Amino acid sequence: MANVLIVDDSSTMRKIISRSLRQAGLPVDEVFEAGDGIEGLNVLSSGKTIHLVLSDINMPNMDGIEFVKMVRASGNNVPIVMITTEGGEEIIKEAIESGASDSIKKPFTPDKLQEKLGGLL
Amino acid sequence: MSLNPDIAAAKIITEEQLAKFIVDATQEVFSTMVMMDAEDEYPLQEPVRRFKCSITGMVGFAGIYSGVISVHCPVDLALKITSNMLGIECDEVNEDLNDAIGEIANMLGGGVKQVLSKGGQDVKLSIPTVISGEDYTVNSLSDIDCVVIPFKIGDDKFLVGLTLKKED
Repeated sequence: MANVLIVDDSSTMRKIISRSLRQAGLPVDEVFEAGDGIEGLNVLSSGKTIHLVLSDINMPNMDGIEFVKMVRASGNNVPIVMITTEGGEEIIKEAIESGASDSIKKPFTPDKLQEKLGGLL
Repeated sequence: MSLNPDIAAAKIITEEQLAKFIVDATQEVFSTMVMMDAEDEYPLQEPVRRFKCSITGMVGFAGIYSGVISVHCPVDLALKITSNMLGIECDEVNEDLNDAIGEIANMLGGGVKQVLSKGGQDVKLSIPTVISGEDYTVNSLSDIDCVVIPFKIGDDKFLVGLTLKKED
């Protein structure tokens, strides 16, 4: 079973993603939440075991791409999948080049989560 | 209300095509994330600027295009939408309600951005803004730059509006 960190400034989206992970039948144990990149970094540096990070891109304080860069700069290789409304090719390319593993566009279905995340958990 | 011809010409897209895109994007968001079927009633018969017991979620665009996409929803319907999205009963205007309507505007903004900016770097989205109240008005600076799509879910109705301006 895996622990997942969801980084999204929308509490609604965090709840939907959390629920969808379980609806998709993914082997999820604990789900941790963060409201922006800074909070996400705090969770990752808190000593909790995190097996997968799902992050939005467009967030206040620290956006998802900066968050990915900071995680990789700290030497953490946890898989990070961007879940975002930002479906533009250049933004996704920048996220991948910064160290993100993959991306999922909102809106999404549990089946899409299963397809994208099944191999990471 | 109609779309600015400069925008339609620049993207080689007609107002009807853009309206269809907004309809498709809205229906996708509602069917996948809200688990409700939204039926479009395009075109809007008369402009609507005054809202009573309603909530409005807005996301702005900036870059080669500027503008706002907005979702205007009666509070009663917004409560049903929020309850469906969260899987819990929501019966009052609170942070959950504001966040849910803001996130719907955000997802619609992301969809429109994909039409306007293939790469995604030359149009930026704002963080969502949500307003609500017993009686308020929302005015665009220019009606000719607007396209507004009415939708209904059962007997409840809501609007999705897009105001766009191409920057020089």
